[in-house]
Amino acid sequence: MLIPLSWLKEYVDIKLPLKELMWKMTEAGLTCEATKKVGDEVVLDVEVTANRPDWMSILGVAREIAAIQGLRVREPKIKELPAQTAKFPIDLVPNFDLFERWSAIAIKGIEIKASPKWLSERIKQMGHTPINNVIDITNYVMYELGIPMHAFDYDEMSGQIMTPGLSKGGEKFTSVDGDSYTLPKDAIIINDSERLIDLAGIKGGLNSGIKDSTKNILLHVTIDNPVLVRRASIALGLRSDASAIYERGPDKGGVVNALKRAVNLILDIAGGVIASEMIDIKKEKFEPWELALSFKKLDDVLGIRIDPSEVIKILSKLNLSPKKSKDGVTCLIPTYRGDIKIEEDLVEEVARIYGYNKFPKTLPKGQVTSIKIPYYFDDSFHKKIKQIMTASGYSEAIPLSLLSKASLEKFGINSKNAVKITNPVSLEYEYMRPSLLPGLLEGIKINNEGLVQLFEIDKTYPEENYKLAAVAKGLTFRQLKGTVDLIFGRLGSEDFEIEFETDKDYFHPSKSGTIKIGREKVGEFGELTPILLSKLEIKDTVLCFEFDVAALQKHAKIKDYKDLAANPSQVEDLTLIFPPKTRIGEVAKVIEETPLVQDCDLTGTYKGSYTFRIWYQDSKKNLTDKEVEESRNKILKEIKNKFGGKLKS
Amino acid sequence: MQEDIINLKNQAIAQISGAGDAGELEELRAAYLGRNGKFTLLVKKIKEIPPEKRKEFGITLNESKIAIENIISDKKHELLKSLTEKREWFDLTIPGVKPNLGHLHPLTQVLSEVKQIFNYLGYQVADGPEIETDYYNFEALNIPKDHPARDTQMTFYIDGGGILRTQTSAMQGRVMEKMKPPFRVLVPGRCFRYEQVDASHGFEFWQVEGFVVDENIHLTNLFGTIDYVLRELFGKEIKLRYATTNFPFVEPGVDTYMSCTICGGRGCSFCKGTGWSEIMPAGMIHPNVLKTAGIDTKKWNGFAFAIGLSRIVNLRYQIKDLRTLTTPDLRILKQF
Repeated sequence: MLIPLSWLKEYVDIKLPLKELMWKMTEAGLTCEATKKVGDEVVLDVEVTANRPDWMSILGVAREIAAIQGLRVREPKIKELPAQTAKFPIDLVPNFDLFERWSAIAIKGIEIKASPKWLSERIKQMGHTPINNVIDITNYVMYELGIPMHAFDYDEMSGQIMTPGLSKGGEKFTSVDGDSYTLPKDAIIINDSERLIDLAGIKGGLNSGIKDSTKNILLHVTIDNPVLVRRASIALGLRSDASAIYERGPDKGGVVNALKRAVNLILDIAGGVIASEMIDIKKEKFEPWELALSFKKLDDVLGIRIDPSEVIKILSKLNLSPKKSKDGVTCLIPTYRGDIKIEEDLVEEVARIYGYNKFPKTLPKGQVTSIKIPYYFDDSFHKKIKQIMTASGYSEAIPLSLLSKASLEKFGINSKNAVKITNPVSLEYEYMRPSLLPGLLEGIKINNEGLVQLFEIDKTYPEENYKLAAVAKGLTFRQLKGTVDLIFGRLGSEDFEIEFETDKDYFHPSKSGTIKIGREKVGEFGELTPILLSKLEIKDTVLCFEFDVAALQKHAKIKDYKDLAANPSQVEDLTLIFPPKTRIGEVAKVIEETPLVQDCDLTGTYKGSYTFRIWYQDSKKNLTDKEVEESRNKILKEIKNKFGGKLKS
Repeated sequence: MQEDIINLKNQAIAQISGAGDAGELEELRAAYLGRNGKFTLLVKKIKEIPPEKRKEFGITLNESKIAIENIISDKKHELLKSLTEKREWFDLTIPGVKPNLGHLHPLTQVLSEVKQIFNYLGYQVADGPEIETDYYNFEALNIPKDHPARDTQMTFYIDGGGILRTQTSAMQGRVMEKMKPPFRVLVPGRCFRYEQVDASHGFEFWQVEGFVVDENIHLTNLFGTIDYVLRELFGKEIKLRYATTNFPFVEPGVDTYMSCTICGGRGCSFCKGTGWSEIMPAGMIHPNVLKTAGIDTKKWNGFAFAIGLSRIVNLRYQIKDLRTLTTPDLRILKQF
């Protein structure tokens, strides 16, 4: 909402320096962070919250500024209307579901011409182009009082009847400014005896609009159903100053006064005489209502005691007419403050004018519960994984979770199985990711370094299960596998099994596999297919894995501590050779499970030969050479029987 | 025999005094005092000594051994001292060999701090769905269908039903309807709003919602909590100010402004030239929200707040473009 300073000053004096006033307005809830210049005029730009239709008017803002400064507001003087001197018949058909209040008056014999300079300047300051005297006046009064109104050409209204109703959808409508629209269903429309003449709350029709030749007019104000106006204006993409006021709910009590204000101005500027009574069809009286505020409630919510005399002073400044009662006050809420409905609303009124920045700051005294809240989330497992990943040289990335259909298709993922957004900002971001890998691979693509290691722990959709994924270029398979071994080892779930296939098309058919613990699948690891990488325009070999965090966590154990052996272990290296296609991981397991073997590492591989470093130990005594030899022979025997392997000669 | 001992002792002292380093000293110690050392062998000869002279022999032998031990100890100290005091050229500026450690994302680092601060204040962390219902995201928060407040939270709709949550506040209803107060809850997470992407807007962002329901919760407690948390995060010297605002799920509503850390309060594009950054919207929980969740508003009340986590990360590290955080570029990630 724009507030020209000179216009504002017609209703309230400004005592504070402008910058200070702007902050005070912001503190009170009428956010004002910027000014601009229109010609010589300084214009305040205020952000009006959804609860305050009254701030959608210069007078409403003036009332707030008066309250902030402790000054009185000068309401515009609205004269009583002169007597009716002509009689134009007009029939308004009531419909309180659509118009809670509907007021109208006819004027005969006006002259349409350009507005006087002061009026056209005001319209320009509000960021609009002046049109003619009558239309400019209706807009002027809307800006001044926050009540939208519309003028029809009386002679264009067939049958002198107006019937409000709802659009069926598909109706063609040309607005007063000449634009054509196809109406959505359930917009509020007004028909005369023949035609659709008004899109209520949004725009008037061209057929019944003011023309240069217009002589007689009907001026009306409707209080429209805010939901229907909002839906229709969103559907048409037509948000106007008027629709913004209607959505917030304008001052239902101020309707007749606003019409009088406009008629006064029209008679002065465009001439004419009153040609009908003031028609006022209303569902209820729309009068100020009483609302009580107890001092106890005020103290309870605020946590400080504001002196009752101060409370009364604040509420009086806001025109809320507080009357002292036994243990509080009773206010009379003016009709333009439709936002004040419950006691808490009055608490806020007192607090905001008292000044939020005067409040002391204390921490809550209450109890800390020992009961776990619903949806309780312990992130210590995620932290543990993140430690392992960063220690393994992987950096954490957090890419966007939306991606394109094309991106899914590159991975061979059927978009039908992915969560789709019906109103994406662009087709680049139309689907929720079913895997963390596409986002991380973007990282492989944009990083030119030879060694790139990235990981992420986050949700995939639709299940919203946490996954752990990592991608790497510049690593050997054994280096990636080392991190996989480390994750499972550190989490105490070393007993995982590897299946030599995956159900994902983007994993290399021979250089990738599935990891299972027991029967449960944890995820996949290995190399990505050259086809995928070529589609992603990645030239390097990429290794990756993606695991289900819940599955990892389910099988994680705290490993028991083993007492240190008092006696030293014996260490030796065995270099073994095997037939092709031997699973060396299983060889290592066999060695480790041999009696007296404490540990075993694969320390080197060379052309089909594998060197294992083996630690022999007996916790009870020192081993003799003979005992080590026996253990070694067992290893060699098992390896020969199970794998056809032998010592390299 | 006595003389043999004395001679041996003198020989030992001479050799020990001339020892050049710790290794040589250790060899001498073994040669004289070790298991097969010369003094140890002498002890074994005591049987050859006439009984009346054995006492004297024993005393001399023992005294000599102690004397040698002392000299070895002195010599050792002397050698260490000369090693310690020796000055030589040693380049301390040579670049080190860094272990290849990965980096944690700044969102993770800052969130971890935020959680720690709130843990200290007795909050428990909840994790909720990102694919939400309209009910929890809006209606349970006193934002009925067609409410104009929805304009500030343009929503993504899911094919087949549901929406992407626009705020982690959506967890208020979920927690409140399942648990009796008192509770203090923190909900970090990804949120989504339909916005065109530019330097200061993204359609995905991170928010941390917090809410407390208890007996005797006051607006002063909300100010106290915001003040404590932001000063823990940004330092005691930051400037804070509060303003009234309107969100349908709070009454009274509070907006928190912090002096912009990017421009130091002079005004920049990040703070729209005001020198202040809107950082933590909050308020006392609207009675309608509590009632909808089945909480007795005569007994309980509470406050709620939201921290723009992405924004806090930006302010902390002076990141001017929001898109920086979601770009998986190592040149970015390695800075944290």
